[in-house]
Amino acid sequence: MRMTRSKFVKLMTAAAISVAIPSAAFSESPKKYVFVTGGDFAPYDMTNPDGTFYGFEIDLLRELAKRGKFDFEVRQMAWDGMMQSLMDGKFDAIIYSVTITDERLKVVDFSLPYTSEASSFAVEKDGGISVPTSGAKVNIGEADGKAFIESKVVPALKGKTVGAEAGSTQLNFVKQFLEPNGVEIRQYVGLPQAYQDLASGRLDAVVAADTSLADFVDKNKDTAEVTGPAYMGGTLGLGPGIVVRKGDTALLGPINEGLKQMTADGSLSELTKKWFGRDLSPTR
Amino acid sequence: MIEKLSLVGFGAGGWGSLLLQAGLMTLAVSMVAFLVGLFVGTLVAWARISGSRPVRAFASAYVSVFRGVPDILVIYLFFFGGRQFLTAIGTAIGIQGPFEVSGFVAGALAVGLISSASQSEVLRGAYQAVPKGTIEAGSVVGMTRLTLFRRVIVPQALVTAIPGLGNQWQGVVKDSAVVSVTGLVEIMRQVAVASGSTREYLLFAGAGAVLYLIITTLSDQITRAAERSVRHGEKRKVA
Repeated sequence: MRMTRSKFVKLMTAAAISVAIPSAAFSESPKKYVFVTGGDFAPYDMTNPDGTFYGFEIDLLRELAKRGKFDFEVRQMAWDGMMQSLMDGKFDAIIYSVTITDERLKVVDFSLPYTSEASSFAVEKDGGISVPTSGAKVNIGEADGKAFIESKVVPALKGKTVGAEAGSTQLNFVKQFLEPNGVEIRQYVGLPQAYQDLASGRLDAVVAADTSLADFVDKNKDTAEVTGPAYMGGTLGLGPGIVVRKGDTALLGPINEGLKQMTADGSLSELTKKWFGRDLSPTR
Repeated sequence: MIEKLSLVGFGAGGWGSLLLQAGLMTLAVSMVAFLVGLFVGTLVAWARISGSRPVRAFASAYVSVFRGVPDILVIYLFFFGGRQFLTAIGTAIGIQGPFEVSGFVAGALAVGLISSASQSEVLRGAYQAVPKGTIEAGSVVGMTRLTLFRRVIVPQALVTAIPGLGNQWQGVVKDSAVVSVTGLVEIMRQVAVASGSTREYLLFAGAGAVLYLIITTLSDQITRAAERSVRHGEKRKVA
């Protein structure tokens, strides 16, 4: 198809006009909150081949909106521009498994955590790495947790290479405890690349949120497994929360109210079972 | 294997149409960016060739800055800085903001300006490759500056410029992936989303590679055709 000159001019004019649309022009209509996600983090948030979103976080959001009586739509964006875009007012909230940390709390506000996300290591079955399970979750913020890492995790991973997502709390965790003890750390822009390297033997282990790991191990039952217990606390933070702009109580209020109700009546626990195969609701 | 391939197909449960849309987005961003780059690049090359001393200095500073800064930084500047800038202007002339810069505009402008720096160098080199004698001859027979430009400089400079501009275009196509930070879904972003949702990393990386290859192979053909057409005069001269 050939583009005529007049068509081209029209297109360019349209593009030029779309540069600057005063968003105030739309403020008359009832407030519809825009939530942004990555749409690429199974099973939290995923994209259908028709471009719609699904997953634990989408179900949760739908329920929270129903209880809090607010309107919403979901859009996607790459993680790189997400926090800045939120602070800039390009949309209203992030629901993308963002872990609540002190560092992030300085610039944005978080809802209550919506899963009790712990972290673990995935390894190749024939990779010769094995960490014993201690039964319970290991709190890396406490003395016995630190002792467990020194006596069990460090010896198993010494001289090996562990992959983690850049900017993640898991990266901080392995940098703090493993890197000084002779474990090589490799950073990845996204976990998919880390899993790929683990499968192809370029990595010995991947440290990531349990839910993400479980999904990977599920799909690669024959070759991959989780080794050792789940870790939480300390630099690993409090689990993921919905992110809003600092001081946006109008949105945060109904979200937190809904999360409290859903925890109390057991529906949050049901929802985590539906998507993760086990109860991951925060016990707090 | 067949089941897996249907994931990138156009049937139910296939990502084909989203991937195709992403390919078109890559193409759209790249085309606008390339044209922005060509337009600004021409101005910059012109400034460096025949501007006054301060204009030349400004133009070469422009080239140094945009060749030396990563494109992601320029995109942030437009996408995040643009809103504050436009809103400030709006307030100054009495229009209530805030004004939003669309991801497409910020992305295409950023990639385009980055490319304009290298495109201006290609164009400047092409101009300098035009034999001075032909320009002098033109002015001796009484051509105006515009005629001289149109009939003598452009036909000869294009012969040198087109292969270089073809390279610039390929660079723009690959650089265009950075626009995903503004929420646009181009090829790389769609590959990330599809592989994250299905855990089929290699399959979708392969699909993405195929899309890029289709675009770049077609552009190669176009560049070659363009080269043949601007060399038309040369052939006649030889014969």
